[in-house]
Amino acid sequence: MIIPRLETERLVLRAPEMGDFEPFAAFYASDRAKYVGGPLNREGAWRMLAMEIGHWTLAGFGRWIVDVKDGPSTVGLVGLFAPEGWPEPEIGWDLFAGNEGKGYATEAALAARSYAYDVLGWTTAISLVKPGNDASARVAERMGAKPDGDFAHERHGAVHIWRHLPPEDIADGGMEAYA
Amino acid sequence: MTGFSIPVLETRRLQLRGPEPGDYPNFKATFASYRSRFMGGPLNPYESWMLYAAEIGHWHIRGFGMWMIHLKDAEETVGMAGGWQPAGWPEREIAWIIWPEKAGKGYALEATDAARRHFYSSLGWDDAVSYLDPFDLSSVKLAERLGAKKDKEAPTVGNGDAAVYRHPSAAHLENSQIEDGIALEIENHINPIFKPRGGLID
Repeated sequence: MIIPRLETERLVLRAPEMGDFEPFAAFYASDRAKYVGGPLNREGAWRMLAMEIGHWTLAGFGRWIVDVKDGPSTVGLVGLFAPEGWPEPEIGWDLFAGNEGKGYATEAALAARSYAYDVLGWTTAISLVKPGNDASARVAERMGAKPDGDFAHERHGAVHIWRHLPPEDIADGGMEAYA
Repeated sequence: MTGFSIPVLETRRLQLRGPEPGDYPNFKATFASYRSRFMGGPLNPYESWMLYAAEIGHWHIRGFGMWMIHLKDAEETVGMAGGWQPAGWPEREIAWIIWPEKAGKGYALEATDAARRHFYSSLGWDDAVSYLDPFDLSSVKLAERLGAKKDKEAPTVGNGDAAVYRHPSAAHLENSQIEDGIALEIENHINPIFKPRGGLID
């Protein structure tokens, strides 16, 4: 499985690798990880990093590490996620501390959505947002997604489902916009 | 992830290959069962999928990992064996798990022996440990047949209950009769002229 590399105006989305481990572990140790199954110790965070890579092999898609072209690297983890037990394939975004408020999550998530629709042929997509994770809900809103009920996950508990615009309702922003 | 590919190992009866998507159902069945209680299980389907994905990612991050054990003569898997070292693991571990219905045929011994020889000869490891639950008697017996000895001084993992079994070093293994004993036991499984001594579980 070769993990593709995507570029947006400001960002590069690329394969997770061992060099991402320290920022990854810091994120999973922090309070920010409480919405995504954390906090986790270093061993738990390492398993998550390994899982992100294996996800690509098992599902044929997965999440990318986000680098800023003229700025810091490893600012977040954004992409397509569908482990067993997920209600539907998801577009997910986790920004690591210090990188909020710049629109990186939205920019990367739009690229991931285009990849899902234009390359993988998905006809719909959801995002799962834990109650209280308002920053994440705002990203979904900015992308044009709408609330679409709730889901109870056996490990993560109650989450809100956001339903993304279908491919035919997206005026522009196909893969070529991010090429 | 670029050109890295997981090596394939061959033994008398087995082929060891990297974990593939098609092998997941067997992994899931075993990790849903009581058999996996010494390896962090039983797991629900979500946890088991995440762990299987991590097994694959482990190879790409470390350059080693757990192989899926295939029978050469049949299109089936019987378990997993190989190396394991997430962050926080004090040393590289040699680990194994056999699907419950495939136990008792020496597959874990044959696969683990091949994995260890690969780590020593191809990757240059000097030694390795296995972290075993003291109640996991079949694994303790297997570790002993592999020549591993309990190392009470070595740091352990998890909640501190796991016993550390230290494998013979590469040099020691070369100058001992441990490999001969392993070969004899495997031969007994293939051609049971001699009855194995005692009850062999894995």
